[in-house]
Amino acid sequence: MPGRWFRVPTLHKIAAAWPWWLLVAALLGVRLSKGAFLLDAYALLSRPFWPGSAQSEWLRSGQRLSDQARLVELERDNQRLRQMLQLDRAGQTLVSAPVISREPAGWWQQLELGKGRRDGIAAGDAVLAPGGLLGRVASTTPTTARVVLLTDGSSRIGVWVGRTQQHALLIGLGTARPRLVFLEKDPGVRPGDVVTTSPASTLLPPNLTIGVVQTLHDQAVPAPEGLVQLSAPVDAVDWVQVVTR
Amino acid sequence: MGVLHRQGWCGATGLAVPLLSLASPAFLKIAGVAPSWAVLWLLPWALVDGPGSGAVAGAALGLVLDALHSGDASQVPVLVLLGWWWGRIGRRGAPIERSFSLGLLALLGALALGLSLMLQLFWQGALPLPLAGWHTLVAQSLVTALLAPLVCSLLLLRWRQVVGWRG
Repeated sequence: MPGRWFRVPTLHKIAAAWPWWLLVAALLGVRLSKGAFLLDAYALLSRPFWPGSAQSEWLRSGQRLSDQARLVELERDNQRLRQMLQLDRAGQTLVSAPVISREPAGWWQQLELGKGRRDGIAAGDAVLAPGGLLGRVASTTPTTARVVLLTDGSSRIGVWVGRTQQHALLIGLGTARPRLVFLEKDPGVRPGDVVTTSPASTLLPPNLTIGVVQTLHDQAVPAPEGLVQLSAPVDAVDWVQVVTR
Repeated sequence: MGVLHRQGWCGATGLAVPLLSLASPAFLKIAGVAPSWAVLWLLPWALVDGPGSGAVAGAALGLVLDALHSGDASQVPVLVLLGWWWGRIGRRGAPIERSFSLGLLALLGALALGLSLMLQLFWQGALPLPLAGWHTLVAQSLVTALLAPLVCSLLLLRWRQVVGWRG
């Protein structure tokens, strides 16, 4: 039929096709907003598949592995250099010992270990736990050893602040945090600095973590003092390692 | 002297004192400080068995406990004095039974023991700050006094029965 193609559709028909108009409006909206609704919808739908804790766990385990490998390599390197400098003590071994009695607070701060002279432990040996140095062996019997913790009032050891390369004295106070006494007037140490055993130490194994400087009293006489938060958790440790000589 | 010390097994319960001091169960601590088990055992012993036996038991306990710690501070003098004093209290006047009295005696005993240790450690230079000593002193006295009605009254009842049979 001629002329039929040019017929203007009636309003009735246009109104009847309203779902299509809605679709066109929606598509136009997507276009004009540069995909805002679409992206939101996509985010909503894909939320269950977003990267979760599993991925971060993979990343962390990879990081741990690389750190461990690096640590082993660096320790080997360090040992080689120490041997060259003849700082290394011969025959130093680690003995694992269980903690059979602990008294971290009270009049004395000490541990009893379930291994003694028979396993090569002697008075003066350093005692390590996950986290760092705990203290030193004070006395031994054939099957037990008594450890005086760094927090005990009778404990005094020389320590090292690595960042500023300063020597200091760590003195137990009978509280949870021992006192750090510097030997120089202006040590330049800040709270947060890590305290370790001295790298040149021959009494204690070198470069063991002890704790973190928590507070600092600059005006103390004759030299600045601070308090150290120890890094090894005494209350939680069940097995320790004794560095025998 | 009473008759309690002639019963070997009664004296053998004193072995629990060094064992409990070593084990130091965590649920019986206040602020990480364990009670003074020597005071908790010596109090009923001296009350039942008299001043002489109390002083000897105090000396024995003190010697054993001193061996368990590094350093030279000694608990012997105060434990001997406490044993003698509690023995005199047990011999004179009405027998002590109320929980409050037991708690008070244990509190005074723990305070005396703690003060003597604090002074000794302070003089030896092993306690640079007296603050830590006060914390331990207060915590130990409190937990000892709180446990005394429980532990001491049980021991007291049992040992009075034994003395009743034998005496």
